Amino acid sequence: MSDLALRSVDLRKTYVGKGAPPVEALSGVDLEVRRGERVALLGRNGAGKTTFLRIASTLLRPTSGTIEVFGLDADRLPERVRPYIAVVPQEGKPFFHLTPREQVYTYLRSRGLGRESAHARTDEALERMGLTEFADRLSITLSGGQRQRTMVATVIATEAPLLFLDEPSIGMDPFARRSVWASFRALSGKGSTILLTTHYLDEAEALSDRLYIVERGKVIVNGTAEQLKRSVGGTLKVAIARGAREAEKFRSFGETVADGETLTIVVHPERLGELMDLAVRSGLTTTVGPVTLEEAFLRVVGRSIDED
Amino acid sequence: MRTSGAAAASRPFGGLAAFFWTEVRVQAHEELAMATSMTVQGVLLVFVWILNPGLLGVALVGAVIFSMFTMGQRVLNEAAYVRIDHKANELYLAGPLTPEAYFLGMAAGVLLVYLAPVVVVAGLAEAVVHFTVREALLLVGCAAAVWVTAISIGYVFSTAFRDNRAIWAYSSLFFNVFGVLPPVFYPIGLFPGPLRPIVLLMPPSAATALLQEAIGAAHLPVGAIALAAGGLATEVVLLFTFATFWARRTVRGA
Repeated sequence: MSDLALRSVDLRKTYVGKGAPPVEALSGVDLEVRRGERVALLGRNGAGKTTFLRIASTLLRPTSGTIEVFGLDADRLPERVRPYIAVVPQEGKPFFHLTPREQVYTYLRSRGLGRESAHARTDEALERMGLTEFADRLSITLSGGQRQRTMVATVIATEAPLLFLDEPSIGMDPFARRSVWASFRALSGKGSTILLTTHYLDEAEALSDRLYIVERGKVIVNGTAEQLKRSVGGTLKVAIARGAREAEKFRSFGETVADGETLTIVVHPERLGELMDLAVRSGLTTTVGPVTLEEAFLRVVGRSIDED
Repeated sequence: MRTSGAAAASRPFGGLAAFFWTEVRVQAHEELAMATSMTVQGVLLVFVWILNPGLLGVALVGAVIFSMFTMGQRVLNEAAYVRIDHKANELYLAGPLTPEAYFLGMAAGVLLVYLAPVVVVAGLAEAVVHFTVREALLLVGCAAAVWVTAISIGYVFSTAFRDNRAIWAYSSLFFNVFGVLPPVFYPIGLFPGPLRPIVLLMPPSAATALLQEAIGAAHLPVGAIALAAGGLATEVVLLFTFATFWARRTVRGA
C-alpha cells in the first residue's frame, strides 16, 4: 500500500453549465499528502479548494488527471476508497431533529460500526468537542457553533484514516476552535491523515505540518508555514509611523507597503538593526513584530494576482 | 490499515438498516406533519361521503393508494432538503454507506413514520368494503408497488433541485395532479374511455383500477387489467432500478 494518503497529478475540473461559460475550477493540481500528515489547503474564495476536496472525497468527478487515496484510484474505484475516508462538508449541518449523541451514534452505525464501539466512540467524541452537556438536546436548539462542533464530533468519531475537513471550525468561538485543534492532533497521533481547508490562517499554522496555497485552480505554494513566511522576504515586520512619505529611503530593506501614513516593511532579522538606525536618524517611530501567516498569504496571493 | 466501517462498504444496500433508523428518528419528531399527512385524503373522503356515500369504499381504497403515492413527495422533499440545507449526502456518502442504502433507508424511514394513518384508513376501507383475503393481499401488493414507484420518482426528482423553495411548489403539484386527477378516488368507469389507457399506465390509477376491479367497483376488459398490472409491475422494476442507478450516479455531482 502506498506511503501517500493522497496524491493528485495534473488534476483538472471544468464546470460546464447550460447557458453559462465553462468555469475552470482546477487547472492542473499536483498535490501529495503523506500518511499521518496534517495538511492545510489555503486559498481565496473560489480558488478551487472545495472542488479539490470534493473530488478527493469521491463526491465529484474530475475532468482529467489522477487522484489517488492510499494508492487507490479515487475516480475509478470510489467504493473502495470510501471506507477509508470521512468528510466534514462545508456548511454541513447535523440533522436538526437528532441530538448530538444520536447524530454521532447513528452515523457511526451507518458506517458499519458495532453498537458498543459506536457508543464508546460517540461518548469520547462528544466529550472531546465539549458537547457532553448538550449531548441529549435536539440539534435544532443548539447554537451555530455547537452544531458545527456536532459535525466535527460526528466525523472525528469515525477515526477514519483520511479526514477531509472543509472549514471545520467555522462559526466556533476561540475555545471551541482549540478543542477542535486538540482533537485533530489526537487523531493525527493515532495515525489519521488530515487535509483541511480554512480561512483562519492561525488555524492553518497551528494545525498543519505543511500547507498548499491554491490560486485560480493551481497550486502556487507548497511548504511549511515557516517557509511561506520566509518566502515573502523576511520573518520580521517593521511598521514605521508616518513613514509612507519616506518610502524611498527604506526600499532597499525589502518589500514596502504603505497603509495610510504607515509604512510596513518585511525584513530579514540580520538587517533589522540597520533599518532601525535609519528610522531613528530620520526621527520616525517603529514597531517590530513577526510576519504572520496571514500577511505572508496576502503577499503571496497578491503577487500571483498581480502577475496574472 | 484499519478502515472506518468497512463492513458496510461495497455490499449493495450496505448500511441500509442503520440509515433507516436514522431517518425514523429524524422523521419521528415531526408530529404535526404526521397528523396533517391525511389532510387531502380526508377532505376528498368527506366530499365523496356527502356527494355519493355509495362510492365511499372506492374512495377509501383510493385514499390508501394516494397516501402511498404521496410518500414519494415526502422522500423528494426530505432528500432535497437534507442535501441542499444540511449537506447530509456529502457527510454520509463520502463513507461506506452505499448510495442505494441512503435512498432506500430514507424512503423506508419515511414510510414507517407515516404508515400509521394509512393503516387507519385501510382499516376504515375494510370496515366499508369487507375485503376477502385475496382483495386484502392485492391492496397490500398494489400499495407496495405504488410506494416503490413513488419513492423512486421522488428521489430522482429531488436531485434536480438547487433551491428548497422550488421543491415545495413542484413536488406538491406533481404528486397531487397525478394522485388526484386520475381515477384514484372515483371509479375508473367515470373517466373518459379514450383516455383510460393513459391512466392505466400511471402507477396510482393503475393500482386503484386493479383494486376497483377486484372489489367489483369496476368492470374492466382483460386487456385493460393486463395493461394496468403489467404496466405497474414493469414500472416498479424500471423505476426502482433507475432510481438506484441514479442514486449512485448523482453521488458524484452528475
